[in-house]
Amino acid sequence: MKIVENLFPELCNIYGESYSMTYLARCNPEIDLRLTNHKTVPAFVTEDVDMIYLGCSPERKQEQIIELLRPYTDRLRALIDRGTVILATGNALEVFGREIREGDRVIPALGIFDSCAVRRMEPGDRHNSRYIAAFFTDEGEKLTLLGHKSQFSFSYGDFSRDAFATVERGVGMNPDTKAEGLRRNHFFGTYSLGPYLILNPPFTKYLLRLMGLDDTLAFEAEAMKAYQYRWNELTRVSN
Amino acid sequence: MIRFFIALWAAKLADKLFSLKYGRECDTAGLVANKLCPDFMARVAKPPLVITVTGTNGKSTTSTLIANMFRSRGRRVSFNDWGANIHAGYSVNLLRGVDLLNRCRADVSVLEADELTACDTMPMIRPQYMLVTNICKDSLRRNGHPEYIFGQLEKAFERLGDTTVALLNANDPISSELAADTGTRRVYFGMEDTHTEPFENMVNDAGVCPRCGGKLLYHYRHYRHLGDFYCSDCDFKTPGADYLAKNVDLAARTMTVTEGPEETAYPLMSDTVFHAFNTLSAVTLFRELGFSQREIADFLATQSVPSIRESVVEYDGIQYYTYAAKAQNISAASTVFEYMAKEPSDKDVVFILDEMQDSNHPSETISWLYETDYEFLNAPHIKKIIVAGHMCYNHRLRLLLAGVPAERIVCVEEESDVPNVVDTEGIEKVYVLFEIDFVSKARKVRDAIVDRAREVKGK
Repeated sequence: MKIVENLFPELCNIYGESYSMTYLARCNPEIDLRLTNHKTVPAFVTEDVDMIYLGCSPERKQEQIIELLRPYTDRLRALIDRGTVILATGNALEVFGREIREGDRVIPALGIFDSCAVRRMEPGDRHNSRYIAAFFTDEGEKLTLLGHKSQFSFSYGDFSRDAFATVERGVGMNPDTKAEGLRRNHFFGTYSLGPYLILNPPFTKYLLRLMGLDDTLAFEAEAMKAYQYRWNELTRVSN
Repeated sequence: MIRFFIALWAAKLADKLFSLKYGRECDTAGLVANKLCPDFMARVAKPPLVITVTGTNGKSTTSTLIANMFRSRGRRVSFNDWGANIHAGYSVNLLRGVDLLNRCRADVSVLEADELTACDTMPMIRPQYMLVTNICKDSLRRNGHPEYIFGQLEKAFERLGDTTVALLNANDPISSELAADTGTRRVYFGMEDTHTEPFENMVNDAGVCPRCGGKLLYHYRHYRHLGDFYCSDCDFKTPGADYLAKNVDLAARTMTVTEGPEETAYPLMSDTVFHAFNTLSAVTLFRELGFSQREIADFLATQSVPSIRESVVEYDGIQYYTYAAKAQNISAASTVFEYMAKEPSDKDVVFILDEMQDSNHPSETISWLYETDYEFLNAPHIKKIIVAGHMCYNHRLRLLLAGVPAERIVCVEEESDVPNVVDTEGIEKVYVLFEIDFVSKARKVRDAIVDRAREVKGK
């Protein structure tokens, strides 16, 4: 069995993120999906998990999550170095950066990546956009990723080595860069929110292969049809 | 002051012209007023009574009830009843209540108010009463998340202080916490167990205690996160209701409301628990304003659900409905899906939930599909689900993952093809679920379905 740990779904499921993990588990019966409550010690601390997922959360809970994970920063760093699959979506990627700034407040994050998020929370500050991005697998195969962003913050820093993907349409980590998300070995972080693995079935297949599993998806034909339609539509409306 | 009067006169003129051209449901004059005088809402004269209704769901129905009550008593009411529930809509609403010398001619202003921007607008308008129906998940693009909306409304109460009375839903663990430390008088309405056996939702808008993060538990739920709640780890629980609905009989459309030692029976205008909450919240306001129980009960007996939400025509023994569902608003959509499952008729359900109000964002995030309980639609008496429009493939995948058999799902990209695939026999009802802003589009699709049924019958 492959252990996939969905961290704190009661806090980090504000845009349907957890369904990514539900879907993954439905794709392959060899997946043992663990849902870890924020009042318990995560499985990855004591067990060799095959994948960790952290979804998007409200801003105050995001700060709580940083403190929950801070004692395990070294363990997370070791798992990343070892090549464990970790997926962080929405503002969860900021948890792994250096800090989050909101006005004069500075919230230290885990510091695994050297990025700084700047948060502005007035209604007019909410950023909404979509992206089409190029992602390259370890084997050099190009996958096209689709993303939806709806957020109060952007991240800044040097993403030349750590970008998850390169945006072809839309904006990246901030309006001045095409670099989207964070990547190191098999750590993948993206600002896109919602059920990312449903949004991107080719990437889901890749994750299954990374875990050494058969990459057939649940309702694969229908998932691909919907993905292709969205891709065409995004391409059309972005022109 | 001069700038205000210039804005008032210009906006009044604009209102006349735009009303002639576009009808009264046009708020461009409000844009003019706010542009020329940014604090127009603060300066324009208000009626002696200003009531605001805000929250995620139930604003329109509740504010309509309130406005109708005052009208039925011969009071002059200004009411933004066409959904213009932000700055420009308020300004048009208020300017229509004053004359050219800024003398108020209205007795009451009823404002359906957007919850996101209330913290900027309400301190200018300074309503005497602010009724919050509930806080639920809504469009993530605009509203972010419930915790953010709570923060925005809390800022509004902080700025209003003790000049406004807060009417709050005791059964909502989110909005019931509003105005705790703002000096505001809080009046709670709540409901005893309705025994409606609500389905379990896949997503809970209030999954953890807002005070300590503990698990929220319920003695009973009404729907979604509304119910008699308590925290597993601290003393957070449903506050005591000043107006408590008991013996809610949805089938008979009646409820009893207890205020202290008094109990009064009131009629309900629908068989749904969410409309029962709308009625209860309006009763709470009416009682706070001094209306007698008899007056309120007599008035409610004359009310029905606004036709904008629901309409029906019958042909050849089949009832064809349009039914508002609100895409992107997962609480509203899930509640409608639950109703579809519990309503026992054999039926076809048509989705016109393609988010076309977001014409600049035609491929809106699919996230709301995976928070909405499509699983409820996997019911044997729902014979066919027709998903139409540019979101059809996303809906189909979600329905399949919800366990709906593939043979019950029909996917059509063009809405004009919908009538060809709706059953004309073997069913009792057809429901066309639509975006609230597209009533006429839904009716057009529904009428085309009926026309097609006539054609089939004629052959």
